[in-house]
Amino acid sequence: MTSLNQDQIKALEQSRQRLIQLTHSLSSLITSLNTSDPLPSWSSLQSQATIISNNLITVSEHLTDQKDLFGSLVAYPGPDYPSRTQGPALEQLLRTKLDPRVEDWLSRGRTTGQKSQSQTQIGGQELSEGDLAELWAWAPVEANQEARRRNWGGNFTLEEKEAGIENVVTGLRRELEDEDESEEEEEEEEEDQMDIVGARKKASGGGLEFDIAARQPSQVAAAAAGPVMPLDDVLRFMTTGLPPKQR
Amino acid sequence: MHELLLFASVPHHQHHELRQQLAGLTAMQPRHRLERRLIFKAYRKPGVITTRVGASQNVQGVDLQRLNKMLNGGMFYTQVVGPVLHENFAAAGVTRGEGGDDPDAAMSGIDESQKDSFSNSSYDYESQSWKLEFRDIPEAGTRSAVTARLMASAGLPKGDIIEPMNAWGYGFVTEYVVEGDIFILNDIVIFLHRVLQYPSESADPHVPRRQLPPFEQMTPLDKSGSYVLQAAITVQDGGNQETMRTASQHLFGLREQLRSAVRLEQADRLSLDTRAK
Repeated sequence: MTSLNQDQIKALEQSRQRLIQLTHSLSSLITSLNTSDPLPSWSSLQSQATIISNNLITVSEHLTDQKDLFGSLVAYPGPDYPSRTQGPALEQLLRTKLDPRVEDWLSRGRTTGQKSQSQTQIGGQELSEGDLAELWAWAPVEANQEARRRNWGGNFTLEEKEAGIENVVTGLRRELEDEDESEEEEEEEEEDQMDIVGARKKASGGGLEFDIAARQPSQVAAAAAGPVMPLDDVLRFMTTGLPPKQR
Repeated sequence: MHELLLFASVPHHQHHELRQQLAGLTAMQPRHRLERRLIFKAYRKPGVITTRVGASQNVQGVDLQRLNKMLNGGMFYTQVVGPVLHENFAAAGVTRGEGGDDPDAAMSGIDESQKDSFSNSSYDYESQSWKLEFRDIPEAGTRSAVTARLMASAGLPKGDIIEPMNAWGYGFVTEYVVEGDIFILNDIVIFLHRVLQYPSESADPHVPRRQLPPFEQMTPLDKSGSYVLQAAITVQDGGNQETMRTASQHLFGLREQLRSAVRLEQADRLSLDTRAK
């Protein structure tokens, strides 16, 4: 067998680099999960997950690209390999079958893949019609029950009242009254009503609460065609009157 | 005063949706805004001494250099902005008509300067109010990912603006109309707008129009109908690092909130270059 050329060595080296990146990002996720208390914010978790999945994608792309090379490579120890001290690593390298744990991962991944594939073939719906109907039937009742357990009119929930309102930490300096017909509330209600009237007045054209659709500026010929002009060109025109370059 | 800005391009199909989203986010109805914008360019007046800069023989005194800078540097484009109403545009027969009172309702109370023109629907150039808006080129260096620039505004006399501007050494370049909606979120002014151009055949291109064409004849600068979203915070004391930092933090907060809808970004510095060459 011929020895490896430069490109092939580079490909091997690249896969090593990418795997290192992957392990790094995985281990940083694990440490952040282990050490930070409370748990890291969902946004940071999500960004870490994105990084990991990007790493996975690059690794898998690389492996696919170099499939032929990696499939034909055979590892064997050279005469100067320190097999006495580095025995376990040698054994790992010379294995012809995969590690049992890895076999498990593979089979699990394959079944999930097949499942999702068959699902997308059917129509990609997670919930069947029946399940959906059931959910719709269940949700309003449940939501209503949950809502009834709260006293919406007052400043305190029923739960808080039962536990004694003195103990509630409101963070407010002024005294909150427990009665529904307190002045502040009336004021608030008045304001609400005024708001609604105002919105209706404007909504004379349509029927929506947020009736800003009525004033959709369609008077100008809305020729929605062609590519969007780069922001820079628009800004340049607005600052100096320089007409955008014809593309 | 300083101005901190973020921009985004909004494609036509997303405009309506984004308007709704902004209305929800800011908990206010959009304030419709129509502005005439005239662009003026500073020109070098004849008779100004143009000494050569960079002559190495005789070292120029610091004073002379400063004088040169004052005389020859600082040539800028500047904008003159005048609020207008939908009614100010020439009536275009049947197509408008009753539709005219709808913008009326939304505009009322926004526009102090234009109250008298509610009664007659034609445009009166002599009573058009103007505001001079100077914007410096955005600061160089990317300490933070926002566009920061020096700004100043000043009221101008009503009516024909060409004469005073010429007297100050500014020549009229071109004009256009900006149409859009304003939202306010805490200290951020969000302006979702687009540029409309006058129909090309009408009038002398060297002076601002005295009559406005029918609004229907205005064509968007971008044929695809896209809008520009601009989020701005004005900072009184631009030298105060603390307030500048707070302001950019607020802009970043808005950027995070709108992340799933639009990508607010720093504008290309040179596209906002107001220096006249």
